[in-house]
Amino acid sequence: MKVLLWRAAILMAALAVWEAVAAPLNPILYIRPSSLPGALLRMWRVPELPPMSEHVWLTFKEIITAYLLAIAAGLWLGFVLGLRRSLGRVYEPLLAALYAIPSVVWYPSLMLFFGLGPASKIAFGFLLGFFPIVLAVLAGIRQVPAQLVTVAVSMGARPGTVFRKVMLPAMASTMVGGLRAGLALSVVGVLVGEILGARSGIGYVINYAYGLLMTQEYAALVLIIAAAVLAIDGAGALLEARVRRWAG
Amino acid sequence: MTGANSAPILLEEVSKRYETASGAVPAVERVSLAVQREEFVTLLGPSGCGKSTVLSMIGGLVHPDAGRIVIDGELITGPSPHKVALVFQDAGLFPWRTALDNVGFGLELQGVVAARRREIALGLLEPMGLRGFEAKYPRELSGGMRQRVAIARALALGTPILLMDEPFGALDEQTRLLMGEWLVGVRRSTRKTILFVTHSLQEAITLSDRIVVMTSRPGRVKEIVDVALPYPRDLNSPEVADLRAKLWDQVREESLRAMEGGA
Repeated sequence: MKVLLWRAAILMAALAVWEAVAAPLNPILYIRPSSLPGALLRMWRVPELPPMSEHVWLTFKEIITAYLLAIAAGLWLGFVLGLRRSLGRVYEPLLAALYAIPSVVWYPSLMLFFGLGPASKIAFGFLLGFFPIVLAVLAGIRQVPAQLVTVAVSMGARPGTVFRKVMLPAMASTMVGGLRAGLALSVVGVLVGEILGARSGIGYVINYAYGLLMTQEYAALVLIIAAAVLAIDGAGALLEARVRRWAG
Repeated sequence: MTGANSAPILLEEVSKRYETASGAVPAVERVSLAVQREEFVTLLGPSGCGKSTVLSMIGGLVHPDAGRIVIDGELITGPSPHKVALVFQDAGLFPWRTALDNVGFGLELQGVVAARRREIALGLLEPMGLRGFEAKYPRELSGGMRQRVAIARALALGTPILLMDEPFGALDEQTRLLMGEWLVGVRRSTRKTILFVTHSLQEAITLSDRIVVMTSRPGRVKEIVDVALPYPRDLNSPEVADLRAKLWDQVREESLRAMEGGA
């Protein structure tokens, strides 16, 4: 509780300093925190755009779709490669190499394939979210202590039971870490996709505001996204801590 | 009828090789052994003499290349959790399970209901000095406690046979002595047939009815020594001193061979 109070105090102090410094300067470049709520209200009713709630909802749907696809594909490929060692040996270096390539270079081709609409954003969010999940599953499988598997087998556990009662719990914390990283990257993927080229979504509105030098509105949107991402990641961190406590 | 075939553990000319990068290495060669009901037999030998491999084969975790292993009249082809329970040097407790749930693991696999699992597990933990620790996780327990939980987990299966692979090897000397005393008591109350692996002369002498001295790689039976002394054994008695000297001669030879050959 004390920590939270301190954090709030530091945040308030930073905002106050920011306000004081920005006040006499050019309001387009130096945005005062006190101007943000008004800017957000204006943004919510820009006459040329569909209502903000539609953009937010669209982006939310894109992120969820991209993330669910990334989870499904990531878990599937991770377990297929991880449980068959020969396959894993062949493909894991390839995956790691692909992961090392800055993913944004794939985006133009995704736009060619999937068009300007939500599909290309989902594809990009999927691509970014997918890698950390696969790699976490592979790492998790390697971390399962052989001794625990031996104990279970000696007590008559069949492969399916070993998987459920030994492997999954033993790799849980690594997997949750990967799922959390995957979510953060799926969010990045969708937003970057929208900023780089779209006709709707929060990223598009950011780009729109920025293009018209509506910097206050732009800053307000960025803050909203930051708050949303922090909230999601905070929930992820809590979940991860819980799983870690449980899985030792 | 008390022929050799009625022995609960029977090994006939059992051999095992391991494939390594530099070719096949014989680990165990033509080991024959019959352990009688309620007998405590120890396999004693230097590291790498294949004694753990023998235990893994009896436990059904490793398949012999030649020879047969028969438990209670049945040929072993895989784990037989209704007859044989194993304890390893590393306690190997599941870190995400409490002591109680670790002990209940094998029963869970057999479909025993939770209430009954709890009852059996508590019944094992309490006499082991683990009353009040049943809800603790392995990381909250000391090394000796963890090993006792691991032994309780094996005992929970209720098998007539217990295989123990250097179960106290990772513990400090004092704990190890106490655990040995404790195991003598467990054995008396549970009347199990126990096959124990160690490289400690002291442990072998304190615990065993018979000691099987094994040769260094490949592991063969070098000599079988009967220990006809009452429990608890006084480690300062002249009989124990004689036995220790005799065993040390045998083990020393093999340890030297292992040092020259292996390292």
